[in-house]
Amino acid sequence: MPSLADKAWSPYVAGVVIGLLQIPAFLIIDTALGTSSAYVTVGAAITGWLDPSLLKIDYAAKHVAANAKNWWQVALVAGIAIGAFVSMKLSGARRHPISPIWSRALGSSSPGLRYATAFVAGFVMLLGARIADGCTSGHGLSGMAQLSVGSTVAVAAMFVGGIATATLLLRRV
Amino acid sequence: MSVTLGIVTGLLMGAVFGFALEKSRVFEPGMIVGQMQLRNFIMLKVFLTAIATGAVVLAVLNGFGFVKLGPKAALYAADVVGGLLLGAGIALAGACPGTTLAQIGVGYRDAIFTLLGGIAGAVAFTYAQPWLAGSLIGTGQKLIFSDLIGIPYWQGAIGLAIAIVVVLALMEWARSWRADLGADVDGDHESEPGMGTHDRMAPAE
Repeated sequence: MPSLADKAWSPYVAGVVIGLLQIPAFLIIDTALGTSSAYVTVGAAITGWLDPSLLKIDYAAKHVAANAKNWWQVALVAGIAIGAFVSMKLSGARRHPISPIWSRALGSSSPGLRYATAFVAGFVMLLGARIADGCTSGHGLSGMAQLSVGSTVAVAAMFVGGIATATLLLRRV
Repeated sequence: MSVTLGIVTGLLMGAVFGFALEKSRVFEPGMIVGQMQLRNFIMLKVFLTAIATGAVVLAVLNGFGFVKLGPKAALYAADVVGGLLLGAGIALAGACPGTTLAQIGVGYRDAIFTLLGGIAGAVAFTYAQPWLAGSLIGTGQKLIFSDLIGIPYWQGAIGLAIAIVVVLALMEWARSWRADLGADVDGDHESEPGMGTHDRMAPAE
């Protein structure tokens, strides 16, 4: 039996737990699991405070509206950090400040280079997720479970982009 | 539903999500970059298992009429361009938008920069959205494969789940998930385990 103090669970046990989260998502919130909209909600809320003209864009106004669905997803994303922290504490695992794979993947152990790469990567990742209208969760977990044609195209493109980038721009980890 | 109840539900669900992401190790940069370099298959195993589970859950909930499906519209140009950018970002971040937060939770400092870059990317998209909506993104129908084939959704979903189970059984038979974990359960098969030096292991004596 998997224990809460284990360092690792089988990917099949963890995958079933994640898949079961569609039950409360559909029944309580009337939506599917997703995470990338929360970046718009948080980003547009902060930026809208500095530049109120942003909130005149319907897309921004729709994402910052004080409704349960928008802020459920922000809370979901925040909860992920809490759950991961608790799981790590229960297992007694300790992490380096930066994963040791990065010095090999980037060919440099400079934290500054890693931080800059991570910022650019996050920017491209969310720009892409918002153009495609979903990420690994929204298109992947939820879209493919719903047999969505568009989500399947987006996930295929995601793996093509990921494999090409990891092969051409990163060194072997 | 009230915003407060939505937030409480989100925090509880997120905590379970984050717990499972941490236990599965899929949030580790070593797993995600390893998957994209096709040398580590933990990510695909978690991902496909969660899809199959979700498909069975939705086959039941939708088949018995408890919930309506909410698939996204098929917008092929946006799905391809956005998907390619998303994948490139995932490879360089060693994270996806959800697992970035799991990395922050366990103390990976670079993930804070991934998060900030992600928020900036989402804001940049928001400014460009009115223009992109009329050019690249456009509009499309909410197509699902079972409708194209002409079978009820629940049958298609169960079929997908069965196909995924077969694929996972073959993948597991080819390479056990335990073989992909690495000594420090982070998908790193080169460095010394634990909190010691980052030096590569010595070549075979």
